[in-house]
Amino acid sequence: MLEVIKPGLETTVQDWPGRIGYWEQGFPFSGPMDDWSFRLANLLVGNAQGTAGLECQFTGPTLRFGRDAVVAVTGADMQPTLDNAPAPLWESFAVRAGQTLAFRFARLGARAYLAIAGGIDTSPVLGSRATFHQAGIGGLDGHALRAGQSLPLGDGAGTPSRRVREECRPPLTAERVWQMEAVPGPNDDWIDEAGHRMFLESEWTVQTRSNRTGFRLSGPAWSFAEKATNKRSEHGEDPSNILDHGYPVGAVNLCGQTPIILVNDGPSTGGFINPYTVPSAAFWKLAQSKPGDVYRFRAVSVDEAQDQRRAINRLIAETSIETI
Amino acid sequence: MIFSEPVFRPGGDRFIEMELGDEMSFDLNFRVHSVSRLIREQGPAGIVEIVPELTSIMISYDFERIAYADVVTEVTAVFHAVGPLDGLELDSRIFYLPIRYFDPWTRECWDDYCAKIAPKERDPELVARLNGLADLAQLARVHSGTDYWVAALGFYPGLVSLMPLDPRCRLTAPKYDPPRTWTYKGTIGIGGALCSIYPDRTPGGYQMIARTPVPIWDPAQRLAAFAESLALFRPGDRVRFIPASADEYDHVAAQVEAGTYLHNVAEYQRFSISNYHRWLGTIDEAVRF
Repeated sequence: MLEVIKPGLETTVQDWPGRIGYWEQGFPFSGPMDDWSFRLANLLVGNAQGTAGLECQFTGPTLRFGRDAVVAVTGADMQPTLDNAPAPLWESFAVRAGQTLAFRFARLGARAYLAIAGGIDTSPVLGSRATFHQAGIGGLDGHALRAGQSLPLGDGAGTPSRRVREECRPPLTAERVWQMEAVPGPNDDWIDEAGHRMFLESEWTVQTRSNRTGFRLSGPAWSFAEKATNKRSEHGEDPSNILDHGYPVGAVNLCGQTPIILVNDGPSTGGFINPYTVPSAAFWKLAQSKPGDVYRFRAVSVDEAQDQRRAINRLIAETSIETI
Repeated sequence: MIFSEPVFRPGGDRFIEMELGDEMSFDLNFRVHSVSRLIREQGPAGIVEIVPELTSIMISYDFERIAYADVVTEVTAVFHAVGPLDGLELDSRIFYLPIRYFDPWTRECWDDYCAKIAPKERDPELVARLNGLADLAQLARVHSGTDYWVAALGFYPGLVSLMPLDPRCRLTAPKYDPPRTWTYKGTIGIGGALCSIYPDRTPGGYQMIARTPVPIWDPAQRLAAFAESLALFRPGDRVRFIPASADEYDHVAAQVEAGTYLHNVAEYQRFSISNYHRWLGTIDEAVRF
C-alpha cells in the first residue's frame, strides 16, 4: 500500500498507452503527457514500460510506503526527498516500509513521474488504469489523489542504483521558450497564407487555464481562407467553425481566435477547425511547460514527425540505462 | 456536397482525417457509418481506432505497422467496396426514452444563467418562435414526432449527436453565447440542426427543452444496459422520445435510483436506406405535426 499524506496539486494514476478502443464513444486515451519520462521510469524499476505509475503536476505529493519498494522519479525536478534526505532523479532507489517520499514544487519542468516496481494495482476501467478525472473514471476513484487514500501496489522486485544516461533523457532546461513542432493539417486549407505565416512566426504564450484537456495559447489574430469565410451555414457562423468532426490528439484547435492544443484528456470531437497538429514526439515539451512559457512553432512533415517519434522510442530501452 | 472520392488529411504523426463530404446530410452520415463498419471488419492491420462523425472519419494508426500512404490506399478501397447507398442496411436499435418537456430543472438552469451570465429568452419559447411553431404544446409534438438517428458520439463520453429522421420534425436553434457553465445531467437540448442528450453535468450550449431521468452513460455500470459498455448508444442507433408526465418521470427516476431500471430498447431493428428514401417520397415535408 502507498498512503497519500498530501495529494499534491493534481497527482493521477496513469498507464501507457492509456485507454485504447473507446475513443469512438468519447473516451480519450489519457495516460502520461510526457510518456518519454514515464516509460523510462518504469524501465528503471524493471516494470514493463506501460505499467501504471503516478503523474504529478506542478507540485507533487507526499507518500508513505506500507512495504519495501524500489522506485524511480523522472521528468520534472520536484525536489524529492526520502525521509527528508534528497532523493535522486532518473535513478532507481530502495524505499523501506514506513518511509515517506515527499515532492515539492517543480523547479524545473512541470510534470514528474513516479514508478514503483510492481506498479500501482488499482482496478482497470475499460482496459486501463489511466485516470480521466473530467469524467471520473480510472485511477483510484476516478479522480486525482486525495489525502488519506491508500493506493494498492502490485508485486515486483526492482534493482536500485540504475540510472538513465543523461543523453537519453528529455533535454529539460530552464529556458522558457520552446521550439514546438507542428504538422500542417487536417484543416490547414481553412487558413490563408498570411495566417500560416503569422502562426509560424509568432510567439505563443501558454495561458493559466491549461490542463490535461488542453493548452490555451495567447498570440496574434488569425486570418482565414475563403473556405472558412464563405461556407454552408450548417458549418456555423465563425470562420473557425466547421461541421462537427473528430479531433486528433495534439490538434491546434482554433476556437474563434484562441488556439487550444488538445492533449491526452481532450475531447474526441467538436465543431472547430484544427489547422495544425502537434505530433507525439513534441508532447514531452507540452507536458514540461508551464503557464507563461512561450512556444515557437516549426512546421514539420508527417514523415519527419514519425522519424522524431521513432528516435524517442529507440531511447526507451535497456541500452539507455547504466548501473551506478 | 457529397464527395465521389474521399479526401485524406494528416493529423500529426498518428491520425488521418477522412472527409466524405461537407454538408449536413443523413445520406452522407449513413455512408460514414457504412464505411466505418467495413473499415472495422476489413480494414488493414495497424488502424487503431476510428471515430465516425457527421461527414468524416478520424482514423488513428500505428505508423510502425502501416504507413500513411497505405492507410489511404486501403481505406479508399474500403470506401469503394461499400458501393451505392441503395441496398445498404445497418443494424439500428431503437431506444425509447421517457422525457419531461419544459421541466423545472432546465428552467432552473436557465434562471441561473440569466442571473449570473446574461439574460436571454427562455429556451423552449425561443425554439418555438424561431421554428414558426404555434406554442409549446406544438414544440413537444414536433420534437417527439420522429425517430432520431445517432449520427455521432463524442466530445464527452456518451454524448450523442441526434438527427431527426422525419423532415417534418426538423428544428434548428442557435447555441448559447457565451456557453453555460453547467447543465443538468439528462437535459435534452437543440443546437444547430442537431438534438443532444447531456450524459452528465457538464458545460453546454444547446437550447434546453426537456429532461430524461434515464442515464445514457454510467461509469459505475450499475444498470443492466451498461454491463458491456459505459455508454448506451452506438452510431446508427435510433432514439424515440416518449413524453412523460411529472409522475411518470418520478417513477422512472426512482427505478434508476434503485438500480432496477431496464432500458427500453428494440434490439431486432435494422435500417434500410432504400425503404427510408421511398417513405420520404410519400410525405409532404412542409407539414408540421
